[in-house]
Formats: sequence, C-alpha cells, structure tokens
Amino acid sequence: MARLAMLIDESQCTACRGCQVACKQWNDREGWLYSRTRNRGSYENPPDLSPQTWTRIKFTEYEGPDGFRWLFLKEGCMHCGDPACVAVCPTGALKQQPNGLVTFERELCNGCGYCTQFCPFHIPRLEVVNPLTGEAKSSKCVFCQDRVTNGLLPACVKTCPAKALDFGDRDEMIAKGQERVKALKARGYTQANLYGVDQLGGLGRLYVLIAPPEAYGLPANPQYPALANVWQKIIQPLGNVAFGATLLGILGAFLFVRRKIRMEEVR
Amino acid sequence: MTVQLKGRAEAITIQWIPKYTTLERAAHWLHTATFVPLAITGMILYFPFLQPLAQGPAGMTFRLIHRVAAVIFGLLPIVYFIFQPRRLILNIREFLPSKDDIGWLKGAPAYYLLGRHEAMPPQGRFNAGEKMNGLIMIVAWFVFGLTGVPMWFGKGVIPPEVFRWLVVFHDLAMIVSVCMFLVHLYLAVAHPLMWAGLVSMRFGVTSAEYAAEHHAKWYYGPKRAMEIWEAKKREAAQKGGH
Amino acid sequence: MTNHWVDLKNADYILIIGSNCAENHPASMTWIHKAQNERGAKLIVVDPRFTRSASQADIFAQIRPGTDIAFFGGMIKYILDNELYHKDYVVHYTNAATLVNPDYKGPDELDGLFSGYDPEKRRYDRSTWTYQTDQDGKPLRDETLQDPHCVFQIMKRHYARYDLDTVSGVTGIPKDLLEKIYKTYAESGQPGKAGTILYAMGQTQHTVGSQNVRALAIVQLLLGNIGIPGGGVNALRGESNVQGSTDMGVLAHILPGYLPVPTEADVDLKTYIENKTKPGGAWSGGYWTNGPKFITSLLRAWWGPYAVQRTDFAYQYLPKVDSPANYYWIALFEAMYAGKIKGLWIMGQNPAVGGPNARFEREALKKLEWLVVQEIFDTETTSFWRAPGEDPSQIQTEVFVLPAADAMEKAGSIVTSGRLIQWRDKVAEAPGEAKPDHQIINLIALKLKELYAADPGPFPQPILHLVWDYGKELDIEKVAREINGYAVKDVKDAQGNVLAKKDATLTTFAHLQADGSTACGAWIYTGYFSLQPDGFGNMLPAAKRRNSVYDPGGWGNYPYWGWAWPANRRIIYNRCSADPDGKPWSEDRKYIWWDEAQKKWMGYDVPDFVVTKAPTDPGGRDPFIMRTDGKGGLFAAMNEGPLPEHYEPVESPVKNVFSSQQINPVVKVWKTDEGKDIGDNYGSPDQFPIIATTYRLVEHWQAGGMSRWLDWLVEAQPEMFVEMSQELAAEKGIKSGDKVKVRSARGEIEAVAIVTARIKPLQVNGKTLHVVGMPWHWGWKGLTYDVGVTDMVQSTANFLTPHVGDGNTMIPEYKAFLVDVEKA
Repeated sequence: MARLAMLIDESQCTACRGCQVACKQWNDREGWLYSRTRNRGSYENPPDLSPQTWTRIKFTEYEGPDGFRWLFLKEGCMHCGDPACVAVCPTGALKQQPNGLVTFERELCNGCGYCTQFCPFHIPRLEVVNPLTGEAKSSKCVFCQDRVTNGLLPACVKTCPAKALDFGDRDEMIAKGQERVKALKARGYTQANLYGVDQLGGLGRLYVLIAPPEAYGLPANPQYPALANVWQKIIQPLGNVAFGATLLGILGAFLFVRRKIRMEEVR
Repeated sequence: MTVQLKGRAEAITIQWIPKYTTLERAAHWLHTATFVPLAITGMILYFPFLQPLAQGPAGMTFRLIHRVAAVIFGLLPIVYFIFQPRRLILNIREFLPSKDDIGWLKGAPAYYLLGRHEAMPPQGRFNAGEKMNGLIMIVAWFVFGLTGVPMWFGKGVIPPEVFRWLVVFHDLAMIVSVCMFLVHLYLAVAHPLMWAGLVSMRFGVTSAEYAAEHHAKWYYGPKRAMEIWEAKKREAAQKGGH
Repeated sequence: MTNHWVDLKNADYILIIGSNCAENHPASMTWIHKAQNERGAKLIVVDPRFTRSASQADIFAQIRPGTDIAFFGGMIKYILDNELYHKDYVVHYTNAATLVNPDYKGPDELDGLFSGYDPEKRRYDRSTWTYQTDQDGKPLRDETLQDPHCVFQIMKRHYARYDLDTVSGVTGIPKDLLEKIYKTYAESGQPGKAGTILYAMGQTQHTVGSQNVRALAIVQLLLGNIGIPGGGVNALRGESNVQGSTDMGVLAHILPGYLPVPTEADVDLKTYIENKTKPGGAWSGGYWTNGPKFITSLLRAWWGPYAVQRTDFAYQYLPKVDSPANYYWIALFEAMYAGKIKGLWIMGQNPAVGGPNARFEREALKKLEWLVVQEIFDTETTSFWRAPGEDPSQIQTEVFVLPAADAMEKAGSIVTSGRLIQWRDKVAEAPGEAKPDHQIINLIALKLKELYAADPGPFPQPILHLVWDYGKELDIEKVAREINGYAVKDVKDAQGNVLAKKDATLTTFAHLQADGSTACGAWIYTGYFSLQPDGFGNMLPAAKRRNSVYDPGGWGNYPYWGWAWPANRRIIYNRCSADPDGKPWSEDRKYIWWDEAQKKWMGYDVPDFVVTKAPTDPGGRDPFIMRTDGKGGLFAAMNEGPLPEHYEPVESPVKNVFSSQQINPVVKVWKTDEGKDIGDNYGSPDQFPIIATTYRLVEHWQAGGMSRWLDWLVEAQPEMFVEMSQELAAEKGIKSGDKVKVRSARGEIEAVAIVTARIKPLQVNGKTLHVVGMPWHWGWKGLTYDVGVTDMVQSTANFLTPHVGDGNTMIPEYKAFLVDVEKA
C-alpha cells in the first residue's frame, strides 16, 4: 500500500485558522471553555497543543535576507516514518499503519504518557482525568484516520480556503513540494525548502517553508531519541536475558543442589 | 525447643536465638508485599506478550495498583526510620561491604552448589550474598523513588529529555532488583542449607546451631569463629573431602 | 465587482489596496494563488500594516491611512508621463477625448477646489463641469487628445502636482518603492495584459471614500483593464449578501435595481421620469433610457392590479424624500439623538458596536420610545439598556427582541461581490421560536394589513393595496419569482410578436414594459429565477444551477453555475475586451469579439452590448452602456468634483500639502453636543498625535454578535487588541501583552497591546508619524467581559471613531482618525 502524507504549503497559508477549527469540529474538541485563552500579545492562540487542540497555527515575525516575512506554521503530529511514540507505547494504542498514518486507538491507551515524552517534536498531549490515580489518555492529530480510511480528506485539508493543504500519495506530495520550492526560489524566496522528506524515516507531514526550519521553531535535524533506542532495543532485551539467565541459573542450581545436599543435620 | 522432623525417628532439639525484631520483620514482609505487585504491574508495561493486560481500563487499574503499592513501598523505610532509627542504621551498617565478602565470594560456589561446609569462611550477621541483596534493594529504593515520583507528577514539568533518562533508570533498577529478588527467593525458600533464614524472618529467631554455622562471626565473635573454621578445614582435609 | 471572484485567477497583476482579502474573504486566495502560481501574476499589497494578505505579496508598501488619492494620483501621473496607458482603449472607450466646458477650473488653479463651489452650503454647482456638445447634444471630442479642454489634458494638469516626491512625502511610502509599484502595475496597460484592483472598506470608509474608488477606476480605465478577464474595478463586499441588499435597494437613496428614490420634486410618475430622462439626467442616455420600464414594472409588482395606467401606476403610494436629504446612518443616529425618531427596527445589526462614535449612538438608542431587534444572539444592542455602567431604570425605551433564524436555517438567494446569485437550501431547523427574517416581516406585514383594514386612518392604501400573497408561512420562492419578474399579460414587441406569455416568469429585462404588462421587483435580477438549462440536461431556476464543469474559454465563468446580474454576464463592460473594430486586443486574452459573418457579438460570456450592433454602427464603440455617452468616465461628476483630489481625513496629524483645503469641502461635519463628554467631538494632533485605523479579523465577524458567542473562535482570538510598532511601544514603555488604554476625542477603551514588526513608523514630510490599528469586533456581551473571558469592560473600537462620513455615501470615516495610547 502506498504511503500517504500531508503537504502543508506555508507559502500559501494565510493563517486563517480554518484548519484549527475544522479539526476541533470534526473531532469534537473544545475551545475557549476548556483553554481559557487570553491575548498574550499575539494572534497565536491557543498557546500550545493540548488534548483539545490537535493542530494550531504558530505565528513568527521574521526578518530574513528577502525582507520581512510573517511566517505561519501548522503544528501537529508529524506521522514519522520511524515513530518513537509507537516504539515506546506499551499498549499498542499507537500504531503505524501500512499507509503511514500513526493512528491512535483511544480505548487501548492506559495513560502511561510515554508517547508524550519520547516524541522528538513534543506533540502528543496527555488528557489527564486524575493526576493521582494516573487515569489519562493520550491525544494527538491522527490525520483524521476515520475520514481517510473512508476515502475522505482530513478535515483540515478539506477546509483550507487558500488551498495550502494537500493530502495523498507521499511521493506525489514530495514531488509537488519540490516543484513548489523551485517556483518559490524563482520568485525570490531564496530560503524556500521542503521539510520532512528524510527526517526520522521520512515524515508524513511535509512542509514547504519560506525560511529555515529553525525560524519556525522546527528542529532542523530532529533525531530519533537515542534513549528510546537504548531503552527498547538494548536495555529491554538485556533485561530479558538477565531474567532468563537468572531463572535458568536458579533452576539449574536447584536441581544440582538437590542431588548433592540433603537437609542439614540439626542438633 | 523440640521439633519432630519429617522422615526422622527422633525428635531434635533446637535452641532459638533472636535475630530480627518485630519491626524488622514487618518491614521485610511489607516490603515484599509491595515489591512483588510493583514488579508484576510494572512488567505489564515491559513485556510485549503482556500487552493485552496493559491496555484500556485493565491497564489503568494495574497502573493504579502500581502507584498505591509504590506509596507504601516508598514510605516504608521512612516509617521504619521513625520508629527504630538505630536498628535501621545498624542494619545498613551491617550491609556495608567488608573483607569477609571476598572470602564469601571465593567460597560460595563450593558451599552452595557442592555443600562443602568448610569452604565458607565465617560470616557476620549478614553474609556477602545477603549484603548484596540488602544494598541492591536499598539503592533500588532510592532509584525507584527518584525516578518514579517525577514520572508520576512531573510530566509536562520536567523536560522530556530528562524524563527519558528516568524511564531508563527505572527499568534498569527493576531488572537488577528483580533478578536479585529471584535469587533471594530461591535461597530463602528452596535451598536446603538456608532453611533457617525463612524461619528467622517469619518468627524473628534463628537456631543457635544454624547461626554458629552460617553467621559464626556474629554468633562466636570474630576470633573464635576463625579458630573454629581453621579446625573445620583441617578436619575436612584429613577426611579427604566430602 | 465589474469582474468576479474566479476571474482573479486570470490577472497578471493584482493590486490589493484598502482590502485584506486573505483575512476577510479567505476563499479568494484560491484564485489569487492560481494567478500567482499558474500565470506568474505579481501581487502588490498596499496597506497601513503588513496583513495576512501582505504575507502573500511580491511587493508590499505601508501607506498612511487616508492618502489613497495621493497614491493613485501619483500612479496616474506616472502612467500619463511615461505613456504607459493603453492608447487605443483610452481614446475610443473613455471620455479622455471629450471636451469639457471651457469655464471648468480645477484644484490646480483654485487651490484645492473646483469651479462652482458654495462655501456656505458646502456644495458644488456642477454647471461648469459639463461636456461641450454640438447642436444635437452630442459631446464634442478630440481623438488626438491635444485640445487643452479635453479630459486627457485636464487630467494631466490636475495630476501634475502628484509627483513622486510629493506623493512619497504625503503617503509615507519611500520614493523608490512607490516607483517600483507604479512601474510594475502599469505593465498591465499593455494590450493582452490584465491588472485587477481589489478594494474594500479600506478605500470606502473615508470622507473621500467615493473619490478613492474613482481614482482607482481612472487608473483601470487608463490601463485598459476594465471589461477584460483578469481586470476590473473589484469591490470586495464587506458582508455576506450586502451585494444583494444594495441590489434590492436597502439604502436610503435607491429603490431595488438602483432606481432613484422619488423626491418631493417628483410630483407624479411622469415628472419622476422626466426629471431623469431630460438631457443631463441619469436616464438620458445609455441603457438607463429604459428606466421607465423598470420603475413601472416595480410599481406593478408592489401594488399589482392597483398599479395601472389609470392610477399613475400607484406612484403616489411611494413615499417621497426631501431633497436634498440625508437619511443615511449617521444622519439617522443624529436624528435619534435629537429625539426625532420614535421607533427603530433593526434586523441583524449591532450598532452599539458597529456604529461610529458608538457612545453617541448608544445614547441615541436611549431616546427611542421603542426598539425592535431581530437577532440571533443577545448583543450589545439588544441589551444596550443593561450595559455595564447603565442604569435601566433611567432608560425609557421599550425593547423587543425577535429571535431570528440563522443563514443555514432558511432558504433563499444570496449575491456575492461578483454579482453572482446563488440559491441556498435550508439545512437546519431554527431553535425555539426563532423565525427567518422574511417570515418575521411577513407576520408583521399581515398584521399591519389587518390593523389598517380595521382602522384605516387618512391614507391606508399603500398598505392595504400592497400585494402580499405569499402565504401565512411565507413562500420564499414566490417572492423570488416576483423579484425576477413575470408577465401580467402577454408581452408583445413593437411588431406584435409575443415575447412572453401571460404569467410567464420573465427571462430577461429586455422584456420589461412601461405599460404595466410586466411586474418586476428588481430589473437587474430578471432571469435569475427563470427556468434555465444547467448543462446537465435539467431546467432549474437559474440561481439554483451548480455546473462547475462547463467553462467556455477557460476563463472561470461557469455560466451554468448560479446566475449573475445583469443577464448572467460574468464580466461587465466586456465590449472593452475587443478593439474598436471588434477584434480581441490579443489572441490569448480573447473574450468577446465581433463575428462579421454572423453579424453578432460572440464569445465566452454574454456580450455586454447590443448583440447585433456592429463596431461600425453608431455607438459601436461605446462600451459603457450605462453611461449617457457610453464612454468610461475619467472625468465624472460627484459631489466633491469630477476628478479625485487629495484631502486629509477629518482628523489628521498633518496639513494638506496639495492645497489649503484641509478636508473634503462637501463633507458634513456634525457638531451635536460638541465639547460634551458624549458628542460630535474632534481631536487635534496635539492631544492625539497617533493615527489610528480599524479593521477586521478572520476569526470574528463584524460587530461580533455571532462570533463572540462561539468558543472555537473566541479561543483563537479571545480579546480586543491594538497593534503598534516596536518603536511606538518602546517610546511608551509598552510590551506585547500589556493592557493599554486607547483614547480619542470621543472616548476611551482598553485593549491588549500587540507590539509588532508589521507596522513601522511612517516618514511623512519630514515628520515621524505612528500608526496603530484595531479590530472593531469587541463589546461586552458574549464570551467576553460578560462571562469573564476578559476583564476589559469597554473594548469597542468604535468608541473612538468620528461621526462623520463620505461626501457622497456618508459612509463613516472608520479608517483614519487620531488617538493616543498609554499603558493601563
């Protein structure tokens, strides 16, 4: 099955927040009554992703070599080709689908929160019901897994009035993104670039950017968290070896000793 | 006291001496009663084959049990310290490594696997193996606490990069302490030579003969214990081994 | 718009000035992006701040609010000096060659005024602004454009003062940037190239608003951009269906279809018609000569069998207005304030937030005996009497709130800025007792008829005889048909051929008659509800069609999608897309052309011309059919003159450098209660040195009555703010996120400061001037102060704006006034 991806053309985005609201509408997310936002001196609100906000627009004023630019970034789960969250999820609630989507089955989640700590982009958010008992559920953009599996576009893509969003075969999205970068460069956007082609096994969320990723607050070179590898691929297997060896050793010792030692004479 | 052992004709007499106080024993058993559920509920997140138990409401229940047990597990030494601070400190001192431990390590395979009593030099109140168990559990308590508490309350407060280390160390402490526990469990319950260990932890007393054998330095004092051991070794050499 | 939304994709040059369409018409970006991406179109944005639209621009310039005429004047001079105008177009299709009365004098000679000014009345006598005519009344022309009295030469003299240095000094745009913009946009003057100008309230909401639009229209005429795909003078309307409401005459001076409202001088229908058809009158030439058919058909629609020849078509039932009269918004509220108006009926409006000098307007509401508000939500207007700080026991107004249905809860048509009429179905049920506005009006009308029948009084006929047969539950499609027009009896042409049978729904306004045989609620709409093919084999009322496949020529016309007035023309004045001989100006911008073989105009749109009139026929080169001379009006009379001249906004920090006429000489400056806390007060630059402008956000809607109740929108934009430059913030010790006070001569509000690099201080004739901008969406009701979203109780931007408006339309000057700002 071909891998799917979202192409976000930030040169076309006008930050209308249609995507932010469409996502909330489709996924039954709350707004002000939950987040109680205030104006902190910016158009940007809410100030962060949350269990009720799976995508949002970040605003950055940028003075670059081509002059002043107002940068907009649609934040959300990157649907990595190599998803650390899936690797550390103990319940299998987070899964990487054959079509590349990193989906989430809420009923399976037990609220451990490891996904929130191991994501290189700090995306998943924990919806905490009770901080004492730990009752919680993880929360993130799932590329409208219910819509996509039924042949529809994600809600945000459908809504975008500036046609800055597209969704489909990943190779096609990459090709489209690369063409767009070329066209932008020809128009004088000297720093135009396509983000997400190769990072972390290739991201499912591709961005056409008009400034370097760092200007948007994106890591230029996001790394798969080394500790996730150490944890999952070294420590856990070693631990299994240790348990196995200990149990075998004990069993062996027990059988051996029974032959050799009888109950000690006691006076 | 007189004891009728199974499969023996005559009754034997055991002279009991005190080894553990009530609080010590209570702390040990409570520690066990929390450590085991902690380990099991933790392992549900650890072993992929246990994934179905980790999911959904079942998973959340196990996590809850883990936290409840963790609170008790964490408070235990503190409560112990409040009521019998000098006893706790004494025990900790007796867990610290000493020269005897080298001797124990050298003699352990012959003693535990082949039953050669003369191979083991005299030990204090705790032998090296018991010290290892004690120290590992103490260090593990600190590691579990220092990693577990932030893992519980610190999500979103401490940086994820730090959190990832906590998870790794929590895991490492679990592996080491559970392996140690398995060995401890075998030696306490199944190994024939260690029969008095369980009795002493249950009733607080150990048999004098047992103590004389296994914890000679504690029972006789260092000098006398060494003399007895030298004699045992000479005897064994004469007999040409067991 | 002379063009339409989809047509934006056809432009090579797009100038957005006085509009922020990425913000306020987000869907328009689809088409602007197509132009940029598929045609390589250049987008130029000129605005007092770097907006969401500017984020898409190739060239951006920050302009001082209220200096658009200087900007366009400079562009006109640049185009004329460098001969960048489309010569053949200008000569043949505009009145550039037309000779003007030699007694005409302009501001270049009269220090900012035109000939004929009466300073007492603040009005012009326009008799020197006339054309020179021959004995038949035809205007004289010099197509070499050399005659000193021709419009072309008059324009050259008029705009000679608008050189780059002067314009740069006035607007605050650096000279090289100004020249770059002029040069780039003027490239659209080449035949085959198209430039479109998109404007909105940033142009109109000034005391010189009408002249702002005139100025950009002149630019478009000079560059040959009108009547061609990708061109046009494109007003991006500010409200959903405001186009429909102006078409339907919901304005004080017009009846539906832009027919003038009768004044006391129009004593009977004959006089009404004569006053318009006489030489120099609005209906004296062009297509408006058919005006009598339109008014008669309207009267027949309204009063049915009572509107016949014998009764002068019930003309006497029409109310007449004083002349001159000012029934516009500001005058209305001034009259209310003076206690002259007993009752006010508001439909879906929130004047307490949206009206200029809003404290004054809230006071005015208190003087009413009764107020009826049809509304979806509780707003600052429905609850004006219990606003924070008000004592309800002191207010005598009886307030009735009629819950109204929302747009999705009723069927009907709406009209886009591009004159496109689309029918909408009802898709949701209104809650509780809420009813559609049309049903509320229906119930009131039926009740009025009942009351008038029971107790007639002196003149009940206009009500009793009113055709009102739409049912107890109003049948909206019946109303639609009446607006479209129908044949009362068989409609015959001069030869006796039947054009439309009795009771037929008319398909074209060409069938309307002045003899009472047709009825039509709005002549420009005739055809919109007639059954038309939809290209898929169905016949539907035209406005209901949804064919997004058939697009002849690929210009984005989609003639089977909905119906555009007039006559489903998508681009009006499209005769201009062909040269004087009827050939397209260029092959790749072929739109309408004359087919010599078939002897008719053909093309990808409905020709905006008599289909059989050849280019060589009389009038064959007069594309502007609604004007009496058929030529585009470079020189065209309006209240303050025939050519746009720069005047400063009523509140301005600088003197007008073009003349000693500081402000628009015909604007009415109201002075009610001047000097009192609440009144028509104006501030000086000493007290209020900062230029302020107001605007909208994509997240909120107008006066916020709807959007401030929706928590997804409030989450994205929770509180009132004021945007200012980093330099101004540093001067005032203000950081982004601080609460600040903004004060003008009319009031004071609180706002959160947004300190931004998107506004820079302006250099205006050696002075550094600061500009701040504010959205005007906020009041105290809804998810705001009322429920604790914010602690800022008074955050209505219109507390600050002045009660003064444009010289022609009276639209308030919301876009340029003076304030001061300080940390709260």
